[in-house]
Amino acid sequence: MGAYILRRLLMVFFVGLGITFVTFFIAQVVPIDPAAAALGENAREEQIREFRERYGLDKPLLIQYGLYLKRLLALDLGRSLRTGRPVAEDLKEFFPATLELALAAFLVAVALGLPAGVWAALRQNRAPDLLVRLLALLLGSTPVFFLAILLLDLLHRQLGLLPGPGRLDPYLIPPPRVTGVVSLDALLARDWGAFRDALHHLLLPAFVLGSASAALLARMTRAALLEVLSQDYIRTAWAKGLSERRVVLGHALKNAALPVLTLLGGLLGSLLSGAVLTETIFSWPGLGRYVTQSATSLDFPAVMGVTLLVGVVYSLLNLLVDLLYALLDPRIRYA
Amino acid sequence: MRRWIGLVLLLLGLAWAQDRTQVLVYGGDWTDLITLDPQVVYEFSGVMIADNLYETLVRFEGTDLSTLRPGLAESWKVDRGTTDWILTFKLRRGSRFSTGREVTAKDVVYSFERALALKGPGSFLFTEIAQLKPGATKALDPYTVEVRIPKAASPQSFLSILTFTIGGIVDSEEVQKNAKGGDWGKDFLTNNSAGSGPYRLVRWDRGNQVILEANPNARVKPKVPRVVLRYIQEPAVLRTALESGEIDIAEGLTPEGLKAIAANPRFKVVRAETLRLQYLGMNMKAGSPFANPKVREAVRYAVNQDELIQGLLQGNAVKIQTFIPKGLLGYNPATPYRYDPERARKLLAEAGYPQGLEFELLTSTGICGGGVPCPDVAAKLQADMARAGLRARIRAIANAEVLATYRAQNHQMVLAGWSPDFPDPDGNATPWTDYSARSLAWRNSYNDEVAAKLARQAALEADPEKRKALYKVLTEKVLREGPYVVLYQPSQPIGLSAKVEGFLKNPMMSAPLWQVSKQP
Repeated sequence: MGAYILRRLLMVFFVGLGITFVTFFIAQVVPIDPAAAALGENAREEQIREFRERYGLDKPLLIQYGLYLKRLLALDLGRSLRTGRPVAEDLKEFFPATLELALAAFLVAVALGLPAGVWAALRQNRAPDLLVRLLALLLGSTPVFFLAILLLDLLHRQLGLLPGPGRLDPYLIPPPRVTGVVSLDALLARDWGAFRDALHHLLLPAFVLGSASAALLARMTRAALLEVLSQDYIRTAWAKGLSERRVVLGHALKNAALPVLTLLGGLLGSLLSGAVLTETIFSWPGLGRYVTQSATSLDFPAVMGVTLLVGVVYSLLNLLVDLLYALLDPRIRYA
Repeated sequence: MRRWIGLVLLLLGLAWAQDRTQVLVYGGDWTDLITLDPQVVYEFSGVMIADNLYETLVRFEGTDLSTLRPGLAESWKVDRGTTDWILTFKLRRGSRFSTGREVTAKDVVYSFERALALKGPGSFLFTEIAQLKPGATKALDPYTVEVRIPKAASPQSFLSILTFTIGGIVDSEEVQKNAKGGDWGKDFLTNNSAGSGPYRLVRWDRGNQVILEANPNARVKPKVPRVVLRYIQEPAVLRTALESGEIDIAEGLTPEGLKAIAANPRFKVVRAETLRLQYLGMNMKAGSPFANPKVREAVRYAVNQDELIQGLLQGNAVKIQTFIPKGLLGYNPATPYRYDPERARKLLAEAGYPQGLEFELLTSTGICGGGVPCPDVAAKLQADMARAGLRARIRAIANAEVLATYRAQNHQMVLAGWSPDFPDPDGNATPWTDYSARSLAWRNSYNDEVAAKLARQAALEADPEKRKALYKVLTEKVLREGPYVVLYQPSQPIGLSAKVEGFLKNPMMSAPLWQVSKQP
């Protein structure tokens, strides 16, 4: 098992290396001068030259890539062309917001998707099943930005039930920044007002971001459970006269969990990387917004930093899922 | 009993929560904000915020950018030395930094040396325009500062530059205390403030919000003690936030959003003038059709400026044809060219193009002044010019690439924008007319020694009336001969809650938030 984990971690390393290679050379294909993008229309010639020298943009490509890798070994992601700060520091500032939103969206997806899927499977082809399938189709196919603006307008502007964009009421004094996850920081500061407000602000963006995943999860759970429910040992369990609760919770769910688990790992990863639109609409200061701005100003060190971070987190999540398999299904052995 | 206490606490809490007049929330796209260090900051939003944190020796008031007023200096004079201009500033007593220390001549010297040492993006204003050297600023006594600049530099431009954030005075002791290595406290002042302005910076969550609070020691007390600048990029969300009362000021609404807001008595719209000019640049290099003055004149008659401004821009712009924007000294309101495709066609024929002329019009895929996509502006121009036989092939590419092509003199005609670096006519005159400055005149191959000389002469002229006269001659000359067609000067509409009073934004994009008050 130890050797397996080590090998997988090595793989994560190579995935990371691959990401740097691909992003670096894609960045070079774009026929645009980052200095012009960063310095704007009034910049004079020598300012541009100085900028190119400062960021090593005047060196041959392979050397630039080599220097990048060398710095990377020291966990230095380089400096952002746009903000002038170390990319690692920018990531530290923006990642917690995305993590908070993605985790909340994940919880929404699980809390809505799993029970709905189980319910639908147990009431196959009856009203609840049809309802779940219809809702899943609807939520799964509504574009995120449309859903976001629709709900924001209805629940915030017209009904005033939920707060607007942002992470906290602007009239509140925000808790001191410790982790960067506002709800957690509010907890640490024992600021209950801010904590409640932070959760309140999370509800709508988390629902918007998580709804498509919830839909997917509901359909997946339903299918997996239906498959398991048709197997012999379940029929045996029914025949023994066990209650529905025991049959479903004790026997079926555990075995239906494997495919669902695979999906969950991927879901969390895609929520992390897929928050761009949601973050833009809800003015959520996360990685998604950071990377779009970086991309539009051709800030390649920043784009590469974000891609690398998301890629590595994604790979680690996959590893975690694979390890959980062993816990759930003793037949799976690692070699 | 307990229940009563709870109820009272709840009511108190509500009362506190609802005293919204003590907080001003300003929503907009602040993503260009990268530092709040006055000697480094050069972005629109950063300049606007830093302007509320730091005071300068002299300043402009309201939207008037032609009359200097006292700031930290209560008086100043300009003397003609043998080789230098000598500017002497008398500081007023009793101005205090947010740390409680008094502002003295020592801090002024430190701040100016700091600007020269840090070489920020705006440092060329000090080093090149004012030609200020290290050691040229001296404290004669705690309240008197003397600055010497060479005779070749313009004292008027320098005074205008001093109103800009780069001339913001920082608390030298506080900054030095927090300096790391030889960084002159640059890291510290990126995220903290040490100024004598009405506000001090208490918090900046990147991408989320900037929070300012009244500086307890400031001479000028703000009317609203707390300001929150909220990052909101999406125009639809900005509008929702304004309409629901979540924000008080919204910058970046679409023309439709503005129309809806203006029709609702709970809101109002102010139009901030800008100093930006949207223009066409024509490359005059040898062999280019635009090297022929008749062709350039034909283009001037082939642009339907009125339709462009009233139609496409819905009136959010000033009509202007000369190159010094309205609001600055030397603005010339002359608009002699009006749409006349027949005349343009005749001029083209005289120039040797009886069958018309085909050329490439380079434009950005981004947004032009006035909030309209550049390709839309280009398409309107293309249609107008086509009636005069000027057939433009539009090439729309990323703005950075437009600039790279433009800088390499590889364009025929380009649709571009310009904002002066400091609120003085020379911020336009030199780059637009002096080939050797390697800016716009150079990019368009406009090498006219007479124009460049006029610009230099005007920059050095200390008498405002004589200066105005020189700029009149220069603007008329460039209007008729230059490689530019000035299209419009955009204004920036901002939506506000009707409860907000006293808000203004001047053409240099600074907004004195300390003058804003909020009704319950």
